[in-house]
Amino acid sequence: MKLKKWIQSLIFYEILLGMKETLKHFLKYRPITLEYPHVKKPLPENYRGMLGLLRYDDDTEKCVGCDLCEAACPSRVIRVVSAEVPGEPTKRFAKEYYMDMTRCLFCGLCVKACPVDALGMSQEFEWAVYDKRNLQLNKEQLLAIGDRAFPEREKRLEFQHPNVAYFNVSFKDIPEKEF
Amino acid sequence: MFDTSIKLALTLSQIGAVMGVVLLTVAVLTLLERKVLSWMQDRMGPMEVGPYGVLQPVADGLKLFFKEDIIPAGANKIMFSLAPILVLVPALIGFAVIPFGPNWTIDVMGVEFKPFVISDINIGVLYILAFASIGAYGVILGGWASNSKYSLLGGLRSAAQLISYELNVGLAIVGVLLLAGSLSLVEITEAQAGGFWNWFAFDPVPFPQFIAFVIFLIASVAETNRLPFDLPEAESELVAGFFTEYSGMRFAFFFMAEYANMILVSCMSTVLFFGGWHAPLPFLQAPGMFAWVTGIFWFTAKVYFFLFLFFWIRATLPRLRYDQLMRFGWKVLLPIALGNIVVTSVLAYIFPN
Ligand code: SF4
Ligand code: SF4
Repeated sequence: MKLKKWIQSLIFYEILLGMKETLKHFLKYRPITLEYPHVKKPLPENYRGMLGLLRYDDDTEKCVGCDLCEAACPSRVIRVVSAEVPGEPTKRFAKEYYMDMTRCLFCGLCVKACPVDALGMSQEFEWAVYDKRNLQLNKEQLLAIGDRAFPEREKRLEFQHPNVAYFNVSFKDIPEKEF
Repeated sequence: MFDTSIKLALTLSQIGAVMGVVLLTVAVLTLLERKVLSWMQDRMGPMEVGPYGVLQPVADGLKLFFKEDIIPAGANKIMFSLAPILVLVPALIGFAVIPFGPNWTIDVMGVEFKPFVISDINIGVLYILAFASIGAYGVILGGWASNSKYSLLGGLRSAAQLISYELNVGLAIVGVLLLAGSLSLVEITEAQAGGFWNWFAFDPVPFPQFIAFVIFLIASVAETNRLPFDLPEAESELVAGFFTEYSGMRFAFFFMAEYANMILVSCMSTVLFFGGWHAPLPFLQAPGMFAWVTGIFWFTAKVYFFLFLFFWIRATLPRLRYDQLMRFGWKVLLPIALGNIVVTSVLAYIFPN
């Protein structure tokens, strides 16, 4: 037994075994490389990519400016400036909506937090930029991402479930608030 | 006067041809290494430049040529520029004594001219070893002149490694020299004519130099800073050892020197242990006039086999630790090499050819 080991180390037995293995791979060349920019890997269904704001099928924004996403975000990516919809006092919307994507860790908590499903995570991930400032996104950019990533849109909630009460629905005949 | 100028012209054209082939091989090798390595590791290697990435060396060369040439603050400018030259020139100069084909002498207008070896000097082996040692100066100067402690440490480490393993290269060759009775690489090749059983690596009488060949191979892998002995460079853990601070063309010089050294070492093992330009079986050698065709073919084939072996070893083995490297060199290779010399000389005395 000792002799066998001795002889093995003398003829570099382990090294020869390893070299046989590499030669086998060399002769049976089957690369596992995906040539990335030309060939793209299929992403899983629930891939958490770039965030975008969604719209209803009548082009109105889903976001009601409730700030819950801002509260949920662990890295303070989101800043919402909420406001009343002009002329419709029971209804609110996000007047401004900013995301600092340099900090986002794509955890998806904001998507979970949103009560009206106004945020969506697209499958986009090629967002490398030369200037960091290009990653400070405003509402228009986020809506554009949402538009191109989610072409299928939901109906407004009150049309989906006509017998259920919802907030943020406008009642046109309610009188203006008086101060 | 006329003779001298013809000789000069012939020699210069010969040097130009050999350098051209060597530098071309260096360019090919940079691509081939990446391709072979990636094939062994189930990757693809460079694929973007040209079909299947075959133009990658051109792109690399252009890129390195146009890169900014940075000299670190406080570096010794003269030494800093001298070091890459000191590494590259010895690597290229060794090819002067390598015989690529049959030892013919032709007469060109009254001047004797050997077409397949630039200069057949009678101390060829010593000449190559001497210049390989000068390369170590380039390494340590490059590390020292960079004015960076990491480069300096890298340079010292590599110098220690190069010096330790040079010893083993030298001792491994001694057996061959005993058998051939000459230091001229042409005569060593001539002594191995006629079939692979006459090559020194296999020649059964008086003693096959296969062990010496293995030692030579291991030591020369260490000499050329290749994996598994690439501690001076260690690109995955150190930055690049002694040439950390180098950029642009100077960096390319170190890079080319590494590959040129690989070719030189492959040529040396071909000539010393595997019969140089001789075919493995006598009938594979073209007779008479055309012997040079098969000669160059077999020489190239053997050299490329050794180069492939370099890549193959690199793809297989992980890097050694520094103390393992030193222990292996001094406590394993050196005694075996010395034992080989003793056994060879005793047997060569008992069974003289
Ligand atoms: S994905 Fe996570 S980190 Fe990014 S904005 Fe949403 S909550 Fe914040
Ligand atoms: S995106 Fe959703 S959670 Fe964030 S403010 Fe708009 S409605 Fe609220």
